Amino acid sequence: MASLITCPHCGTRPKEEFSIRGTALTRPHPAASEEDWHRYVYLRDNPKGRYQEYWHHAAGCRRWLVVDRDNVTHDVFSVTDAAPARGASE
Amino acid sequence: MSLTLFHRHVLEDYLSDFGTKANPNHLAVIRRPAIFSVLAHRGHDASVENELKSVEGIDVRDCAPGEWLVVSTSAGAAAIENLLADIAGASIVDQSDGRALLRVHGPNVRKILAKCVAVDLHPDSFPIGTSANMLCCHVAVNLARTGADTFEIAVPRSFCGSVFEEVMEMGREFALTAAFADS
Repeated sequence: MASLITCPHCGTRPKEEFSIRGTALTRPHPAASEEDWHRYVYLRDNPKGRYQEYWHHAAGCRRWLVVDRDNVTHDVFSVTDAAPARGASE
Repeated sequence: MSLTLFHRHVLEDYLSDFGTKANPNHLAVIRRPAIFSVLAHRGHDASVENELKSVEGIDVRDCAPGEWLVVSTSAGAAAIENLLADIAGASIVDQSDGRALLRVHGPNVRKILAKCVAVDLHPDSFPIGTSANMLCCHVAVNLARTGADTFEIAVPRSFCGSVFEEVMEMGREFALTAAFADS
């Protein structure tokens, strides 16, 4: 249990408590072009370095989080709840 | 609530119950706790929490923002349901047959639990009254500190046997015993 993620609701927890969904992309507008939707659904960058992902705290508060981390050094820069960011766009 | 699940405890086959004396480190299985899941509707988090804290005779366990487990070992599920029904802006679900309640206590309880969970249980960071969902022996449970050397674990029923056996294994070096609680 080496990788620790500090959940904004539960505190510092091992990564085993989380499941990772993937890149935190912003969902296109429903009327967006097919290319936009194709890019959103299928195409992914594979960056080396800093990366924002959706993590689900499955064994804890069961909230979706946005984890901003470096996938080379595994430095975690910030962990925030995904809901406020999404609620603003709704 | 299903009567079969209610009358036959999931750990019935795990506990021989030959009247062995409880050691200082002991795991008590609560036979019929009333456990309710409470979810606040959007925007009602604070008001529901205040109302829950003012209800007497129940323990409120934190799960997540706007989500709690209400536990009672004294009153029955029907009585608790009546108490909670008045709370505005909350949804309540009876989990009494879906969760098992284990109470671990003794001088070495933190050393035992340190092998089960990855959360710091020092009184400074996890004082009496604190509770949280966490991974315990690979199962998502709700762990609460109810006394200086007492913790309560609310485990999903179908995972209870596995968690029970693993906690007992971790407690072997401290002579952890287990039995159903008297009450």
